[in-house]
Formats: sequence, structure tokens, C-alpha cells
Amino acid sequence: MLAIDVKDLRKQFSVQKNREGLGGALKDLFKREYNQITAVKDISFQIPQGEICGYIGENGAGKSTTIKMLTGILVPTAGHLRVNGFIPHKEREKFVRGIGVVFGQRSQLWWDIGVIESFQLLRKVYRVPEADFKQRLDELVERLQLSELLNRPVRKLSLGQRMRCELVASLLHNPSILFLDEPTIGLDIMVKTEIRDFLKKINREQGTTILLTTHDLQDIEALCSRVIMLDDGRIIYDGGLDELKSRWSKGREVHFQFGERPDLTVLRNLTEGLPGVAWSLEELTAAMWLPHAVNVSDALARVVGGGVDIRDIKIIETNTDEIVREIYQSGTASKEATEKLAQSSDSVSKETVHHG
Amino acid sequence: MMFYASLCWEYMKNYAKTRLTYRLDFWIEVLSDLMFQGLNLIFILIVFQHTPSLGGWSEAEVVFVYGFFMVPYGIFGTFFNLWNFSERYIVKGEMDRVLTRPAYNLYQILLENMDPASLFGSVVGAIIMAVSWSTLGLPFEMLDALMLIVFIIGAVLIYAGLYTALTAIAFYSDAPTGILPLMYNIQNYGRYPVNIYNKTIRFLLTWILPFAFVGVIPASYFLDRNEDGLSTLALLTPLVGVVVLSIGLFVWNRGITRYRGAGS
Repeated sequence: MLAIDVKDLRKQFSVQKNREGLGGALKDLFKREYNQITAVKDISFQIPQGEICGYIGENGAGKSTTIKMLTGILVPTAGHLRVNGFIPHKEREKFVRGIGVVFGQRSQLWWDIGVIESFQLLRKVYRVPEADFKQRLDELVERLQLSELLNRPVRKLSLGQRMRCELVASLLHNPSILFLDEPTIGLDIMVKTEIRDFLKKINREQGTTILLTTHDLQDIEALCSRVIMLDDGRIIYDGGLDELKSRWSKGREVHFQFGERPDLTVLRNLTEGLPGVAWSLEELTAAMWLPHAVNVSDALARVVGGGVDIRDIKIIETNTDEIVREIYQSGTASKEATEKLAQSSDSVSKETVHHG
Repeated sequence: MMFYASLCWEYMKNYAKTRLTYRLDFWIEVLSDLMFQGLNLIFILIVFQHTPSLGGWSEAEVVFVYGFFMVPYGIFGTFFNLWNFSERYIVKGEMDRVLTRPAYNLYQILLENMDPASLFGSVVGAIIMAVSWSTLGLPFEMLDALMLIVFIIGAVLIYAGLYTALTAIAFYSDAPTGILPLMYNIQNYGRYPVNIYNKTIRFLLTWILPFAFVGVIPASYFLDRNEDGLSTLALLTPLVGVVVLSIGLFVWNRGITRYRGAGS
């Protein structure tokens, strides 16, 4: 069954135009002009149950707007939308019992009262039976090591502590879909790792579907089997992370550690005739950049057979950050690239549907 | 219903817990509330130093109206503490959180902002009413007690409906400042005998912004003052309450669909 089914979803906002200067302000006072801004432009995607899907894009690409429509907060301007079998904004109160929401920038908890009191209140709001609640709370508290924090008021928690509490709060009613908007923003690496592990675990054990937006691509690498990339309100990529990498990385780098400092021209001569190969040298380490067109083994064979004293070799794939940066840049800068992406995302989304 | 009642109780408990940590704050609030109401009362007493009657109403009668007004007003103030709604829920986007919880959104907001300190105003109002009741030598029967409750509920509904609609303006307009203070001023007119005003204001206070139904109209039922059919009109109080509340909820629910969230 599909957890999330979105077809031609659109959201338009009318934004008030502010004219310049005092004269403009006076004109605005009597006759306002509005601009129509389309934040989400007819996007379609489907997420089967039990999937962890990353939803990425630059600021203002329409991620949060989509999430808010999916969670029933915003009413879409056009399009079809079904989450958990419900139309979110129409059957809101019934619908939200089956979802959990964490907005990283905004707290779900009550500021002044102890964490446990917030949980108790949420138990009432979600009508979770006492016994279920106790069992679930114990489990979550143990996993995220919160037992010492339970009696503290939320305002006295650190961001990392608060975020772990937010996660518990969103899961107390055992939702089948979890929406996370920037769940790791501003957290240190320890807490990030902990949260990622935790999310992976509940996905594996309870089959919770997770949709998360993030700017931290390591979240995506650690968690997501699938990525949906948004640019200017449109989906520009929908598919696996590996595919994204292989399709969009232009090459890789091979690092050599030498016993003694070699001559750069010697190294260059070794790979003479291989198109696009570039070298750089720093003390005893040299970096060889290979485009995908060149076979790694060919290049390596030449260097290794070249009679230089090699101590160590490392092959470094382009990381996701760079790839994504590249896509954003090309996505807005060149039309050709956008079209190419649109095509590739089409074919990829078909594939995923097939797999799903 | 049971669910909503138990939610109310839960929020009350949490209110008590937070307030116990800031005890002084609580009493200061009660005190300033009462002082504000006390000033209004003193104003009435000063007016009557200069004139024996106001549009044919005696001092004790006007004080009675004021006492009656304080009771629903205090109840309203307890549950409808929405003065900073626009700032807190629209600008800061806390509405997001409210909308992702399985209970009626307006109800959640009311409970989150509950202010039981205002109930002291109702208590004082009831005392003022009781005192003037005996000063005026009015008879008190079972029916009066029943009608009192019905009128108070009706008046609270009127207040609730009007302020729900007015608060919902925040969904439609970017900066709805100014309207609430204006309303606050207009509502004060409802505590005085409406026949002292000119026709337009009387009509406004009776049928457009029915603040007269919160004070003078239901009170005149007990005082048996039937100028312009006031005490007959009083019987309409619960009906007006239901109508106004329905309008308020309609405006609110429409507004929710226009909510656009804040920032990221």
C-alpha cells in the first residue's frame, strides 16, 4: 500500500507587492497589488509504506510547503493528495492521529512544564491508552537515554536533548508515517548519529514510513534509500542515492602516497594519452583526477608500472555534497541540464515504481 | 464531549503547575484585573454623584448591570485569551503544531491560552450583583436563578463568537492590528443602559455587534425594565449567542483553510 500518493500537487501564495518609497507605501495603502507565487509546481510522487525518503532542495525550493500540505497544515491550490488513505486537510483530526511530525525549528513541547508532563498531555490529546503509553514511553526513553531529562522543563534542555524529546513526542501514538523537517539542524555530530541510528531502527522494526527534509546530505546518505530533489517548486530528481551519484558525479580522485617526492612532469607523462586526467602534487601526496570516461585500472596500471615508489593508494568518490551543489548550479543556470535532469528523473521514477 | 472535557482538565492542571512556579505573577494579574474593573465601577459611582439617574436608570440599577456584565466577561476572559493570537500562532507559526494534533484547533488554542485568573472578576461581579439585588429589593425566585445561568451562557457565547470571528481576521489580513482594541472600546458601551445612546449606536450594539446582549439587555430582565422592550429582548440572549458563535466558527473555519504558515 502507498503511504503517500501525490499527483500534480500545486500550492500558490499571493504575496503582497510593496512599492518603493513613501509614495509607493501610500499607493499600497489604497490599492494593494499582489503577486502570485507558485511554491510547489504540479509535483507527483508516490512513497510506499516502510520507505525512508529524503526530500532535499535549496532554501525556498518548496520542501516545507510540500511537507505542510502532506501533514494537513496547508490546503493545496490544486492536485490530488492522499496520505495514509486520507486527504489530509479535509479529515485533519482523524488523519493526524496516524502521523508524527517533528519540525526542527519549532518545538512540539510545552516550554514551561516538565518533559514528562508534555508527554502526558500528548497522551491525552492522542487518546493513547495508559498501558500502551507506558510501554512505548519506556522503550523510547531507554533507546534515546532520556530518563534523566524527563522531569526537567523543556526550556532548560539543550538543543540535542530537546530534539530527542521531540522525537519521542512525535512517536508516542505509534504513527505509521513520520514527517521530519530538518531534524538534525544545529545538532552536534554525536546527537546526529544517535538520531540517525534511532530512525533507522524504528523504520526497520516498526516499518514506519519516514519522509525527511534536510540540508545535511549525510542524513540522506545514512538513512535514505530514495531521494526526491526539488528545485524551484519542481521535482528534478526522484530515485536512488547511488543512481544520483553515478549519474551526476563526473569522476573520482585517486590519491597516491609516495616514498619520496616525485616530479610532477614524470607523473603527467605516465598518464599521457588518457583524456581529461589531471595531477596535483603536495609534498609526498599526489592527487590524480579521473573522469568517468577513463578506466581506473588503466590509469592505475600506468602509474604503478611507472617505476615510482608508491606507499599507499586511495580512491575517492565525489561526495554527495559536491554532486548536489553541481546539480543546483546547473539546474538554475542551464536549461539544458534541467531538461536532462527531468528526463533522467522520469526514467528513474518509473524504475522505482517498478521496484516498489 | 468527554474527550474535550478531559482535555480541558489536563490543560487546567498544567496551567496550575506553571502558575505555581510564578505565584506572584498570578496574584499581580488578579489584582490588576480587579483594579481595572474597580476603576470602571468608581467611574459609574462618580457619574451618579452628579446626576440621580442616567436615562431613567438609578445608580443601583446601573451597578447591577455592571455586576451582571462582569460574570460572563470573567468566564470569557478565562477561556478566550486570544489577544496575542496573531503574533504567536500566525507570525511565529505555532499554528503548524496545533494543526498536526487530533483535536479541534480552536479548542486547543483556547486551552493553551487559558487564563483562570480572570474568573475572580466573575466572582466579584456576582457579589456586586447580589448586593445590588438586595439593595433594589428585587424578588428572587427559582426561575431567576435558571434565567441567570441561561443568560450568562448566552452572553459568553456572544463574546466567544465575536472574538472568534475577530481573531480569525488574522488569517485573512497580514497585520490585523487595531481592530481588537477598537472592539474592546465598543464592548464597554454594552454595560450602560442602551437607551442613553442615539439610535445608530443602539442598533449597532443590539444587532450588529450585540454587546448590549452581554450586559444591559439580560440584566434588564431581572430589573424588569422594559424601555424599548429591553426585558423582552433579553429572552433572545441565548439565541443571539448561538447565532453569533456559529458565525464566529464559520469565519474561523474558513480562515484556517487560508492559513499559510510562517517562514521555512
